[in-house]
Amino acid sequence: MVGADIFAPNSLTGSLTGFFAQTSWLIPCYPMLGAAFSIFWSPALIRRSGPRPVGYLNLLMTVVALTHSSLAFVAMWHQPPQFLQLSWLQVADLNLTLPLELSALTLGASVVVTVLNLLVQVYAIGYLEMDWGWGRLYSLLALFEAGLTALVLCDSLFFSYILLEILTLGTYLIVGFWFNQSLVVTGARDAFLTKRIGDLILLMGVLALYPLAGTWNFSELALWAETVPANDAIAPLTLSLIGVALVWGPVSKCAQFPLHLWLDEAMEGPLPTTILRNSVVVATGAWVLVKLAPVILLSPVATGMVVVIGSVSALGGSLIAAAQIDIKRVMSYLASAYMGLIFVAVGSAQPETALMLVLTHAIATALLLMAVGSLILNVVTQDLTQMGGLWSRRPITGLSFLVGIAGLVALPPFGGFWALLNLLNDLVDSGQWWLVAVVMVTNAVAGFALMRMFGLAFAGKVTPSTTRAAEPLWLMVLPMVAMAGFTLHLPLVMKQAELLPNNLSLVSPMAIGLLASSALGLGVAIAFYILERITRPEKLLPPLLNRLLAYDFYTPKVYQFTVIALVDKLSQLTDWLDIYVVDGLVNLVGSVSLFGGESLKYINTGRMQFYVFVMAAVSLALGLYMSLYFLPKLPV
Amino acid sequence: MLSPLIWFPIAGALLMACLPAKLNTAQVRGVALAISGAVVLWTIGLFTQFDLSLAGFQMREFMPWLPMLGLNYDVAVDGLSLMMIALNSLLTWIAIYSSAKTTARPRFFYSLILLVSGGVAGAFLAQNLLLFFLLFEIELVPFYLLISIWGGTKREYAATKFLLYTAIAGILIFAAFVGTVWLGGTLDFSYEQALSAQLPISAQVVLLSILLVGFGIKIPLIPFHTWLPDTYVSASPPIAILLGGVLAKLGTYGIFRFGLGLFPEAWSLISPFLAVWAAASVMYGAITAIAQKDIKRMVAYSSIGHMGYVMLGGAAFTELSIVGAISQMVSHGLILALLFHLVGVVETKVGTRQLDQLNGLMNPLRGLPMMSALLVLSGMASAGIPGLVGFITEFLVFQGSYSVFPIQTLLCVVGTGLTAVYFVILINRTCFGKLDNERAYYDKVTGNERAPALVLAALVVVLGLQPNWLVHWSETTSRSLVAAVPMAQDVRIALQADLGRLD
Repeated sequence: MVGADIFAPNSLTGSLTGFFAQTSWLIPCYPMLGAAFSIFWSPALIRRSGPRPVGYLNLLMTVVALTHSSLAFVAMWHQPPQFLQLSWLQVADLNLTLPLELSALTLGASVVVTVLNLLVQVYAIGYLEMDWGWGRLYSLLALFEAGLTALVLCDSLFFSYILLEILTLGTYLIVGFWFNQSLVVTGARDAFLTKRIGDLILLMGVLALYPLAGTWNFSELALWAETVPANDAIAPLTLSLIGVALVWGPVSKCAQFPLHLWLDEAMEGPLPTTILRNSVVVATGAWVLVKLAPVILLSPVATGMVVVIGSVSALGGSLIAAAQIDIKRVMSYLASAYMGLIFVAVGSAQPETALMLVLTHAIATALLLMAVGSLILNVVTQDLTQMGGLWSRRPITGLSFLVGIAGLVALPPFGGFWALLNLLNDLVDSGQWWLVAVVMVTNAVAGFALMRMFGLAFAGKVTPSTTRAAEPLWLMVLPMVAMAGFTLHLPLVMKQAELLPNNLSLVSPMAIGLLASSALGLGVAIAFYILERITRPEKLLPPLLNRLLAYDFYTPKVYQFTVIALVDKLSQLTDWLDIYVVDGLVNLVGSVSLFGGESLKYINTGRMQFYVFVMAAVSLALGLYMSLYFLPKLPV
Repeated sequence: MLSPLIWFPIAGALLMACLPAKLNTAQVRGVALAISGAVVLWTIGLFTQFDLSLAGFQMREFMPWLPMLGLNYDVAVDGLSLMMIALNSLLTWIAIYSSAKTTARPRFFYSLILLVSGGVAGAFLAQNLLLFFLLFEIELVPFYLLISIWGGTKREYAATKFLLYTAIAGILIFAAFVGTVWLGGTLDFSYEQALSAQLPISAQVVLLSILLVGFGIKIPLIPFHTWLPDTYVSASPPIAILLGGVLAKLGTYGIFRFGLGLFPEAWSLISPFLAVWAAASVMYGAITAIAQKDIKRMVAYSSIGHMGYVMLGGAAFTELSIVGAISQMVSHGLILALLFHLVGVVETKVGTRQLDQLNGLMNPLRGLPMMSALLVLSGMASAGIPGLVGFITEFLVFQGSYSVFPIQTLLCVVGTGLTAVYFVILINRTCFGKLDNERAYYDKVTGNERAPALVLAALVVVLGLQPNWLVHWSETTSRSLVAAVPMAQDVRIALQADLGRLD
C-alpha cells in the first residue's frame, strides 16, 4: 500500500498525539504482525520453546495496538473526522483506494476492540493453560483483532466486505480449533457456510451499487443517498433489491433469523473466542448496517425487512434462550436477540442508538461470557440442570454474573437501560407502538432468561458437579473482574463521552415502563428459580410450545429438509447426468460418427502408442523435409 | 527475446533424450529443473523488457517457413500472451519440481514435459493461425504418452478419451481457421491478415461457433467437459498441473485471441448466449463437484466452474472484465496447480484420495500439518476468500460483467458460494476430524514436496494482497481488445439495416 496522504487540514501534524492519529492505519498492522510471527510456532518450534512465547508476543502486540488506539483517540477527541486514503488497486476504470475515517467514534470503537481483545487474550492464558495449540489460537485472535480494528476504521463498503469475508474464514478456523471432535467440525462448517451466504448476497449488493452510486465510500454513499429521491432515473425496484441484498450480509453476521443457527454451533469453539465473537464479532454486521443505513433507508421494502427480521430475532431469540438448558446456548440466542434490537434501531432510523446498544451489549455480554467460561471450566458440565448452589463456592463469578445481567437488561443506572430507553423514546416519537411492545417484551424475556440462568447455576442445592467448583486461575478472574468494572463504569463513560442525550429522564412513562418490564422478567425468574416458588416451571407451558422453543423452532430440521437436501440432491443428480447422459451421449456421438470402429481399435492396449508414435514421427519428418526444401529460398 | 522461450525447452528436451542412461532419476530431474529454471529466468527477463505502453504486439520475430501455404514462423507478445507465457514457464518448473524422484523412465518423461512446454509457449506467441494450430496439435502426442505411461488407474481409457476429444477440437479449430482465410480472401494465415478479413456477419457467426466448440472442448465448457475429470484424475500430479494449469488456458487464450479478436461483430451478437453458457458452466461444475467422493475429481470439477468465470469476463467484454478474465486465467492456474500438487502429496503419503477414508491430516504430530494448512489456503483461495488471488480476479470479472449481464453475473456469484460448499467438505473431511492412530504412519513430507507448494502459496497470497502486480500487465491489451469490439446494440442495428436493404 503506497501513497498515504491526508486530505483534511493538517491541524494535527504538529503535536505528538497528532502523529498517532495520522498513523492510525498502523493499528491493524500490529496484530497482523503478531499473527505473522506466530507462524514460527507451528509444530516445529513449539516442541522446543513450548507454546507460551507466541501468546506473550501477541499480547504485546495487542498492548501496542491498544496504546496507539488510545493515543489516537485522545488526539481526535472533539476534532472533525479526518480521511486518509491508501491506494490499493487501479485497473481500467476501477480505482480502489482504501479510505480510512479517523474520528473519535472510529478510534473509540478501536479502543473497545483492543481492550476486549487484551482481556480475552489474558483470559485465554488461563482457559487454555494446557493447550498446545496456542500458535493457532493467538494468531487467529490477532487476525480477528486486526480485522475488527480495520473494519471500524475503514470507510468503504468494498473493503468492509473484504474484511467481513476474511473474518468469515477466521470464524471457520477458530471454531474448528479443536478439529478432531466431530461436533466442532460441523459447527465450523455451518458457521462458515451460513456467514458465506450472507457475504455473497452482500457482494451482490456491492456489485450492483457501484454502477449506480459510483462509489463505495460510506460517507460518499450517504451524500449520494440524499440525491436519490430527487432523481427519478433509478427504479424503486432496483433500490429495493440492492437494499435487501445489503441487509443480508449483516443478517448472517449478526446471527439473525433465519441465519442464526451458526452462532449456536460456533459455541463449540474455545470459550475465549466465543467471548470475542458474541460481544464484538457479531456486532461487525451491526456496524456495517449502521454505515449502510442511508442507502437501506432509501427503500421501504429493505427498511421493513430490517425491522421485521430484527423483531423476529429479538422475540424469538430471547424466547428460545429462556428455554435452553445449555448455558452457552442461552448466551448465543441472547446475542441474536440483542442484535435484533439493534436491527430494529437501524430500521427505525436511529443509527446512534444502534451504536450505543452495540457498545452496551458488547461490554455486558463479554462479562457474562467470561463468567460462564469460568463456570464451565471446572464445573465440567454446561448443563444448567446439573448445576446449582454455586453462590457459596463462586462469589466473585456470581457477582460478575449479576453485574453482567444489570448491564445487559434495562436496569438504571447501567448502560443497557439508557440505550434501550433512547430506542423507546424515538419509537414513541415516531408512533411505532408495536415496536415499543417488541422491545419491552424482549427486555422482559431476556431478563427472565438471564436470571433463570443465574438461579439455576448459583441458587438451589449443591449438585455433584458443583461441589468441588472453586474460582479458577487468577488469569481468568482478573479479566472478568476488570470487565465487571467496565460494565459498572459504562454509564459514567457514556456520559463523559457525551453519548447520552440530555432529554433522558428516569421519570417518564417510557422509563417506568421499561423498568417495569425488566422487573417483571427478573422477578418471575427470581420467584421461579431462586426462591423456588414453583418446582417445575417449565410445566407451565404446553409441552408442544416448550419443545418448539427448546429445539429452536426446529430450524435445523427445516434447513436439513430444504436447502441442504436440495443442494445434495441436485449435486447427486448432476453427477449422475454427468456420468450417464452427458458423457455417454458425447462419447456415443464422437465414437460413432467420427471414428466408427477405429476408436474401438485404439482402446486395445499397446497399439495406441505405436500409432501415435508413427503419427508423430511422420509429421515431424514431413515438417523437417518441407522446411529444408524451402530453406535455401530464405532471404538471408 | 521470444524464440528462446520456445526453442530452449525443445532443445532441452532433445538434450534430455541424449543423456546417458546411467544417470538416476534424481539427476535427470535436476537437469530438467535447471533447463526449466532457465526458462523461468528468461521469462522474468521478458517482463523487464515488456513495454506496458504499447497496445499491440511487440518483440515480433518473423521468418518465412512455408510461404506458399501461408505458414510462417511469426511470433510476438502482448499483455495476454505475456501472462500466459509466465504461467506456462512457472508451472512447467513447478510440475517438474513436484514430480517424484522415483519417476520411471525419467529421460523420456522430462523430455516430453519440456517438449510440451516449448510447444505451448509457441502457441501462446504464434502470430500465424497455422503455426498456432500446429503447436496446439503438437501437445497432443506428448500428453497422450504422459498420461498413458505415467498415469494412474484407467490411464489408457483416459488418455484415449483425451486424445479423441482434443483431436476433434483440433479439427474444428483448423476448419474455422481455413474457413476464415478462404472466405476472407486473405493472402496467408497470418493473424494480421486474418484481422483485416472482411467477412459477412453470418459467416462470422458460423466460424466463431465452430471455434467456440473447438476451444470449448479444450477449456472445457459444458457439455464438452467429460474428458476432463477422467483425464485429470488419471494423470499423475505434475501432468495434472500442466493439463489444468496451462493446457486449459490454451482454450480460453484461443477464444480471446481468435474468437474475440477475429470476429468482434459476431462476438458481440452472441455474447448474451456466451454469458449464459459461462454461468451454466460455473453452476454445473460447482454442483457436480459437491457430489464427488474423490478429492482429485472434486478439484477437477472445480476447474470447470472456474474456467466459466473466464468465459463470463470474455462475454461481457468490458475493459475491466477482460482484465479480470486474463488475471483469472493466471490465478486459476496458480491455485489449481497448488491444489493438484497438495492432492498428489496427500495421495502419496496417505495412499488414498477417497473422502470417506481421509481424516484428521491437520494433526500436528502424526498428520501432514503444513500440507493441510496449505490445502486450507488453496481451497479458500479457490472459493474466492479476499486477501488471496482468487478473490480479486473473480471480483474484477464480476464487477466488469455486472453492468452488461447482471443475472448471469449474480449466478456466478452463487457459484462461488457453492465452491465454498465443496471446499469446506474437502477440508472438513481431509484436514479436520480425528486421525486414525492405527493407520497414521505417514512418511515425512520432504523439502521437495514442500518447496513447490510454498512457492505457489506465496504467489497466491502476495498477488492477492497486491493485485496490481498481476493485473497491470494485461490492461493495455484489454483496452485495445475491447476497443475493437463494437457494442452488441450497434451490431444489431447494422444488421437490421443490412436486412432492410435485402428486402
